[in-house]
Amino acid sequence: MRESDTFKKLTQLILEEEREAREKLENRVEVIDQNLNEREKLEPRIAPILSDQVVYLQKKFPELFGPAITASIKNQIKDSKDEVVEALYPIMGKMVKKYILKEIELLSERIDQKIEEAFSWDNWVNFVKAKVFGIKQGDMILKDAMEPVIQEVFIIEQHSGMLIGSYSRVTSVDQDMVAGMLTAIKSFAKDTFSIEDQELETIEYENYKIVIKNFPRFYIAVVISGIVSKVFLNRLDDLILDFVDKVINQRSPKAEADFIEEEFSENLNDYFIKLNQYDK
Amino acid sequence: MISKKVVLIGKYGVGKTSLIQQFVHQRFSEKYLTTIGVKIDKKTVNIDGTELNMLIWDIAGESTNTKIPKSYHLGAHGAIYVFDLTRPSTYENIVSELNNLKKLISNVPIQLVGNKSDLLDEKNIHQIINSLPLEISFLTSAKTGKNVESMFSALGKALLK
Ligand SMILES: Nc1nc2c(ncn2[C@@H]2O[C@H](COP(=O)(O)OP(=O)(O)OP(=O)(O)O)[C@@H](O)[C@H]2O)c(=O)[nH]1
Ligand SMILES: [Mg+2]
Repeated sequence: MRESDTFKKLTQLILEEEREAREKLENRVEVIDQNLNEREKLEPRIAPILSDQVVYLQKKFPELFGPAITASIKNQIKDSKDEVVEALYPIMGKMVKKYILKEIELLSERIDQKIEEAFSWDNWVNFVKAKVFGIKQGDMILKDAMEPVIQEVFIIEQHSGMLIGSYSRVTSVDQDMVAGMLTAIKSFAKDTFSIEDQELETIEYENYKIVIKNFPRFYIAVVISGIVSKVFLNRLDDLILDFVDKVINQRSPKAEADFIEEEFSENLNDYFIKLNQYDK
Repeated sequence: MISKKVVLIGKYGVGKTSLIQQFVHQRFSEKYLTTIGVKIDKKTVNIDGTELNMLIWDIAGESTNTKIPKSYHLGAHGAIYVFDLTRPSTYENIVSELNNLKKLISNVPIQLVGNKSDLLDEKNIHQIINSLPLEISFLTSAKTGKNVESMFSALGKALLK
């Protein structure tokens, strides 16, 4: 064989092999191309990988995104502290109250037990009534006459003393001015005794008691006549928290910026009339 | 109706209570009964057809031995700073007094008012005005009622803006 022939043969062999390899490769590329471009073909291949990723993300979610989410929530709360506090206030109030009530109930149950051992219940009741009121049971009619009655309810903006809403059994006083003066008295007490986080809670004069419940942006003042019992105050407390939660905190976002006077007055009527025996 | 809180501020005896008495009840008394703490009055005014309910806080002027809670000022929508034209001690520190006030209530209209104008003649008043570093909004007399109504109306107008 001549040298050139050998060379020819060799190139043929090599090229042949190369061509075959290229054809194979082309076919393969074709298949891959189809797999990639046709969704039905791509899906079964990628789905398991994706679902693995989902499982991974689910497992690692708190670790991966937790800090970022916490930070963003923190920021949001920081930026709208008032709103958050306002929303939580009544709920927290209710929770704390419930807990304390439960404890007191337990305590009084225990006391009751002790007392029952010493006296009969009826004896005890009469004894207490006589001690406290200095009167016989028959004279309890007098106490009925002093049944607590809510005379007025004011919702007042903190600091400025502007009236936001009111309920009045009988309108006699100038409510704007009362709201202002109550706020001034509160400011005076706070500035004079300058104890942080302590607020005036009740003002008493003769037959009247003004109960004040503070919220971050406003406070509610309730003027009550008659003998105000703990039970009554308790119910009043629940009512106020409920009112703030259901009525004030549920206002349309449009009203968020400014309180509009008389917006709540109608609701106040519905709410507080419930506590008044004589208005039923 | 729109309600706005207005505070009257100034040293004791400059005539804050007298200005309010004149504006709300159209009366004046020579007797000086110093205000204790704060007294609230109100008057509904008509400003270009809009009813405005002005809640006027008459805050006692501080003297050396009485301190007035700063929180009375909070939430005010407007203020009137009153000084007595006949007593330089009531307007000597006017710039710093007004700056302190602006720290408590920022971005609200404030009227600077020189009161008791009935006690001085034109020439004296001009001398005082020229010596002051700030422009005065109104010269009033709670006694004669001069400029009292227009001073409150001007504030009312600013409150509605
Ligand atoms: N001549 C004159 N006397 C006035 C005028 N305004 C007030 N007075 C008198 O000045 C005295 C003090 O007036 P008030 O209105 O009580 O002063 P005030 O600023 O309220 O004082 P405090 O409550 O102590 O801060 C009273 O005797 C008034 O009669 C005025 O325009 N002209
Ligand atoms: Mg006064």
